[in-house]
Amino acid sequence: MAPNNMISLVGAEIYKIRKQSKTLYALAAILIIEGFVIVSAYYQGAGIIDLLLDNLKDSFEFKGNLLNGNLIIYLILNSLWFHIPLILMIIISGFLTSEYKDKTIETVMLQPVSKLNFILSKYVVSIAFTIFIVLLLAVSTFLVSYWIFGRGDLVVYLDGLNFFKSDDAFNRLILAFLSGVNSMVFFSVVSLTLAVILKDATKTWIVSAIFLICSNLLLKIDFQNEILNELFFSKLTDSWQYFFYYKIPYATIYFKNLLLLSYTVFIMLIGVIIFKRRDIQG
Amino acid sequence: MMLRARNIYKSYGSLEVLKNVTIECHTGKIYGLIGANGTGKTTLFRILLGLIKQDSGRIEIDSHGIKPIGGIVEKPALYGYLSAYENLKVFAQIQGLKLTKELFHQSMQQVGLSTARTDAVNNYSLGMKQRLGLAVALLNNPACIVLDEPFSGLDPMGIFALHELIKELSGKKQITVIISSHIISELTDLCDTLYILNKGEIIKSGAAAQLLEESVTTYKIVGKNLERSEVMKKVNAVILDKSALVSSKNIGISEVLKELIEEGMEVSSCIPQTDLKALFGPE
Repeated sequence: MAPNNMISLVGAEIYKIRKQSKTLYALAAILIIEGFVIVSAYYQGAGIIDLLLDNLKDSFEFKGNLLNGNLIIYLILNSLWFHIPLILMIIISGFLTSEYKDKTIETVMLQPVSKLNFILSKYVVSIAFTIFIVLLLAVSTFLVSYWIFGRGDLVVYLDGLNFFKSDDAFNRLILAFLSGVNSMVFFSVVSLTLAVILKDATKTWIVSAIFLICSNLLLKIDFQNEILNELFFSKLTDSWQYFFYYKIPYATIYFKNLLLLSYTVFIMLIGVIIFKRRDIQG
Repeated sequence: MMLRARNIYKSYGSLEVLKNVTIECHTGKIYGLIGANGTGKTTLFRILLGLIKQDSGRIEIDSHGIKPIGGIVEKPALYGYLSAYENLKVFAQIQGLKLTKELFHQSMQQVGLSTARTDAVNNYSLGMKQRLGLAVALLNNPACIVLDEPFSGLDPMGIFALHELIKELSGKKQITVIISSHIISELTDLCDTLYILNKGEIIKSGAAAQLLEESVTTYKIVGKNLERSEVMKKVNAVILDKSALVSSKNIGISEVLKELIEEGMEVSSCIPQTDLKALFGPE
């Protein structure tokens, strides 16, 4: 086989993504969802502040506005972990299913390109695209929230009321977004592996959506088993929440993120092995 | 020997698609693979091109280039949202080839496409897509190209143009070409050697002209007033409108034509009719 380097393949993948109109639609969809979430977060935030502080207002004096950009960003963070993975799973599985549908995968494989490098380039680009989307979301969320609602102290209800100074809240929110990248990458890699297995776009979307819904449901369920509760993949996708405890449990966060990363690598390996073994037929 | 596929077997479950298929191809020659739909032509091509693995058998390609073999399977699959230039750029890039302006112009010129069009390939006709697909297949100068049903869906002008292009690739560039079709007339003038595939087996092979000659059992004679001809009656010809079908079993066609002319009949053409059963074998 001919020498083909990953950089060329990754470059070609990025070029194709840039040129597809559906990428723009996806970006627009994500930003529109973000806009709706910001509006709903504002109303939700006002309700939460009233509910949480009703009693405390009689005993304590609050200075400044607690319904500020930091609270909005926190509420957005809470809301994003279903919508965005869903859209990402649809887009990313499409990176491969569209090649099967249009049979371009055959034309690609008729060139001196190794199957391993091709599928690895798909995974690399999917992960990079996911990181780009989460960073885009983070930057736009911070900019819009601070621009409209300003900065201020953050109040969060997590096993009780937790107050964070504005600067501290800013740092915690950034860390939460970074931790969230890992969860998003996990879902993206799952969707690409499903695309490898199923090949068909509609089937992959349905199974991806079911996977995401089940993951979210399982996250809330207590398995009554310590090992499952600690190690099962669905219990690892909410590490970002841990940044809103007073004392951040870094050891737990590192452990959960590393374990989730291991799951991601494992699922990616399954996809690579299946793709390598299978015949190429669009 | 440029390409040799030996004793290829391929099954899908209990369905045997290819059974002990062997083909051999020399540099710069054109080979035709003829068979009815579903006889395993595309499967054999997919195996030759490395898209699917054979259950057993060997493929040997005597080429040390970066891309020993290129081709198009079924219809040309291109990125419809990209222009011709962008398609060539992507396919060149993935194989580590830089698409310079010179290479772009050369590739397009080689397949007879204009470099002026910058719109998406989705807007192209099937013939233009075939040509662009061929340009992609020819990137990195493969020693052999495999074209699966390349004339399917093309108009007569498109078929003629593709014929000329294939002849040029074989003649001038010494590229080995393997073409499949289920329409015999598309390959008769083009191929040096034919392989006849039936139910997954090569049942006949040999020089194209000789194989076709052996399979001609009837001639269509076109002329005036053939229904009045005594010669036509003598050879039990089937009289049609302004033509007659003559079997060559009992009498040579040259003898029939000679007698017709002696009888004073005006014959405008004599077209050999290939007997598909004789060519493809029994159903």
